[in-house]
Amino acid sequence: MVNKKGQLKIQQMIFMLLAVTLFFVMIGMIFLVISTSDLRREANLLEEKEALLLVTKLANSPEFSCGDSVDNRKTHCVDLDKLMILQQFPEYEEFWGIDNIQVRKIYPVGDEDVFCKDSYPDCNVFRMFDRNLTADRSNFVTVCHKELREGVARDRCELGLLMVSYKNK
Amino acid sequence: MKLNKSGQEELIGFALIMIIVAVVMLIFLSLSLASPNKKTVESYEVESFLSSALSYTTGCETYGRGLRDLEDLVRDCNGGLTCTNGDKACDVLENTFTEILNVSWRVGPNWPYNGYTLKIYNEEETEILTVKEGNETGDSRGYTSLDGRGNEISLTIYAKP
Repeated sequence: MVNKKGQLKIQQMIFMLLAVTLFFVMIGMIFLVISTSDLRREANLLEEKEALLLVTKLANSPEFSCGDSVDNRKTHCVDLDKLMILQQFPEYEEFWGIDNIQVRKIYPVGDEDVFCKDSYPDCNVFRMFDRNLTADRSNFVTVCHKELREGVARDRCELGLLMVSYKNK
Repeated sequence: MKLNKSGQEELIGFALIMIIVAVVMLIFLSLSLASPNKKTVESYEVESFLSSALSYTTGCETYGRGLRDLEDLVRDCNGGLTCTNGDKACDVLENTFTEILNVSWRVGPNWPYNGYTLKIYNEEETEILTVKEGNETGDSRGYTSLDGRGNEISLTIYAKP
């Protein structure tokens, strides 16, 4: 009788130990899942940041940026007039180590692709080099140019995407 | 009788431990499920978008100031101004932002985003404009921009869970 009671107590103890161990294992698993998902999220954000910074760096370089030519502009502003001139210098092909650069106006929305080399400034796609682009990096930019309104040159800025494909990733 | 009482006490103890364990587990579970929903990650992409969109030149012209960009229109709308063609600055601001957001952040079952919310407040924290599309999810990213006059423009994008 006494033995049986002792066995029962040992069984109880084993069950309790098992329950406590399982409990801590579950907490550990939950913690691992949370920390892993956070890591993945952070990795995605870092990748996004790297890609965007590469494009932003290019957009803010003196060859691309609006600078003082456009009123009240800050960062992420690309001067399309500058790019049209820059396009004529083949030596820039090796300057950035870039395969191609494309600026696509996304607002106002155009019905079809009109390339700037054919119809500037009434166009929506600018390509730095005359070849197709596999854009693996892109970021929002303001695309500005000067236009004549009532005999006065004024700024016209639209929303676009600066797309870049790099030779060496 | 004595044996029974001791057994009952043990059972109560066991039940108490199980309840405590269950409560702790519930707290952990609710914390792990609830915390991501409140978190909005600051996004460089949204920052670039806001900065670029605010520089967009609209068709609204005000007397002596020429064509206004969206950032100017936030101030004009707050001041209750009207364009030279008779359109209200607030209407132009709302229509332009709605269209720009619509083409830039595609929302729906075939697109990567579930929804977005744009909110603009003036320095007295009075709402100037709210544009909402789609549904909110736990995975959100956003950015808040302040213009020189204390107006606050914040955009939150909700990705698919």
